[in-house]
Amino acid sequence: MKKAIIKMKDLWKTYHMGETTLDALKEINLEIYQGEFFTILGHSGSGKSTMLNMVGSLDLPTKGKIFLDGIDISTLHESDLAQLRGKKIGLVFQSFNLIPSLTALENVSLPMIFQGQDKNTRDSKSKELLSLVGLSSRMTHKASQLSGGEKQRVAIARALSNNPEVILADEPTGNLDSKTGAEIMNIFEDLHKNHNRTIIMVTHDIGLVKGSDRSCYLSDGKIIKVSKNIKEIKEMVIKK
Amino acid sequence: MIQDYISLAIGNLKHKRVRSLLTIIGIVIGIGAIIALISVSQGLENSIKEQFELFGKDRILIGPKGFQGPGTVSEGLTTKDVDTIENLGEFEYVTYFLSRTAEIERKNQVKFALATSYPAEDVEKAFGDIDIDVKSGRFFTKGEKFSAILGSRAASELFDEDVRVRNKIKIAGSSFEVIGILENIGNPQDDNIIIIPIEAAREIFNEPDKVEGIMAQVKPGVDIQETQSRIERALKRARDDENFQVLTPTQILEQINQVLGVVQVVLVGIAAISLVVGGIGIMNSMYTSVLERTKEIGIMKAIGAKNKDILLIFLIESGFLGIIGGFFGVLLGLGIGKLVGVIAFQSGFQFLKIEVNFSLIIFGLIFAFFVGMISGAIPAYQASKLKPVDALKYE
Ligand SMILES: Nc1ncnc2c1ncn2[C@@H]1O[C@H](COP(=O)(O)OP(=O)(O)OP(=O)(O)O)[C@@H](O)[C@H]1O
Ligand SMILES: [Mg+2]
Repeated sequence: MKKAIIKMKDLWKTYHMGETTLDALKEINLEIYQGEFFTILGHSGSGKSTMLNMVGSLDLPTKGKIFLDGIDISTLHESDLAQLRGKKIGLVFQSFNLIPSLTALENVSLPMIFQGQDKNTRDSKSKELLSLVGLSSRMTHKASQLSGGEKQRVAIARALSNNPEVILADEPTGNLDSKTGAEIMNIFEDLHKNHNRTIIMVTHDIGLVKGSDRSCYLSDGKIIKVSKNIKEIKEMVIKK
Repeated sequence: MIQDYISLAIGNLKHKRVRSLLTIIGIVIGIGAIIALISVSQGLENSIKEQFELFGKDRILIGPKGFQGPGTVSEGLTTKDVDTIENLGEFEYVTYFLSRTAEIERKNQVKFALATSYPAEDVEKAFGDIDIDVKSGRFFTKGEKFSAILGSRAASELFDEDVRVRNKIKIAGSSFEVIGILENIGNPQDDNIIIIPIEAAREIFNEPDKVEGIMAQVKPGVDIQETQSRIERALKRARDDENFQVLTPTQILEQINQVLGVVQVVLVGIAAISLVVGGIGIMNSMYTSVLERTKEIGIMKAIGAKNKDILLIFLIESGFLGIIGGFFGVLLGLGIGKLVGVIAFQSGFQFLKIEVNFSLIIFGLIFAFFVGMISGAIPAYQASKLKPVDALKYE
């Protein structure tokens, strides 16, 4: 039996804007297993990012529960949550979200600083990860000096720095040209296949997704379908 | 851990060089203004007190009602009153003065200046008592008439050409020989003095018996307060009116303190305003620079920073800016203070001594440090309270 690393139970997210309310997520029930590559597909505004943010504990659900490695994250206090997030979750964003004033190496080290790692450990781990994503020659470049593809590689290395249980990626190729996007996608595939990483990815570039174990189709805040057959999900997206 | 945060903070300050520099300049100006104003006002206060000591502790000053000092319009005292006081005894000496603004002429150059006159034989005593001697020449001898003694500034600044002993000047049309030049006293009013014997003044100003003020030097050991009331009673009886006042040094000090009080209130007011303005300037630049980095705060939270980590990084950063700004602000403030002192010195206010006040320096540094730290920490704290999603959305 595979271990469920993420468990969402009756999850609701409601946004209030003055008089109107918007249910961005409606009654989500989903389990994601250790070592799985899970993709979330759906049209714009369907709630993909909202869901990923809940899993990443960047936002709190209105109703329902999220278990990360068996811990109900909605019960945690701010500092414990931050600790857990830093340790168990690696985030990769569409807009990279590096600290521009820091070098590639420092950006990768930063999550380890917040986990209290010493400098030697941080440096050797960061170097190892940067060479894993093919950036050994850019370690001392400032993040602001890197190209988009290079930034995303740094972001992936950073997401891996605390050896997290799950990597969450929200349209990681969204700001990249198709060739660079494909390269980034290959890195994720490699992480999944050869390093046994758990990856949850939101993406529009359905053509690029290969090697995903399971996918789900999200529409209007609801999970319409979960399938091992990504073609089936892709067709649902295209049809609509 | 802390070292990591310190190097993070310093790295950031270096990266945002212009922004950091502007913030520091804001702090420098705020602190500089505070330090300059406070040190000048302290210098002023000290020197006014010092000047007062020039007047002497054992002197009683008798003037008409409303007497404000030499040169002011005053009426009522005559040589008769001098006699009344002299007859009381108990004084080392009693002297009096009369002054008029007059045309002073030298080598066809005409200026208006105040000429002060004393009985010729009293001048040496009156100035000697407050330790002021002639720099060149001599004081008057008894019976001398058309001679003049000039203050150091009157000799060097009044006319294009320096006036020396044995030069001739004309006062209100009559020729006087300069027989002495006083050493520096330290303030322009005293150093611009032109002294002539009262016998000459009576003639050239046509004032047969008028007296502007009387100074009575009390013998050592005599009670000043009691002498004051004896003078008051005697004058009242002799004159049959109360158009005079008898001032003791303590009362004069009180009057000076009143004026000083107003000066202080104004200066403290200015300092308080500059404190507020400086403080708000520091807060403003800190606030905007932290606000700009809300997204960065979101990123740090997303990768596992606790609120207190973020707060700590920003506390270090803004405290650092505060202390650097404070340091240069203190230097600037002291520099301005010294400059004011130098300018005052060159304009003749040599008594204004601006001193480096150690506790003021410490105050400036601590103020800058804390205001900087707090005004950086407050917006950082607010930003750290945001949910990571919201902080990440900030552009
Ligand atoms: N902070 C918010 N306040 C109000 N409404 C929000 C907020 N965030 C998201 N929404 C709304 O919730 C819905 C889902 O948004 P979400 O960002 O999850 O969509 P998405 O599937 O990621 O879309 P995209 O593919 O364009 O990124 C949208 O209708 C959006 O307008
Ligand atoms: Mg999205």
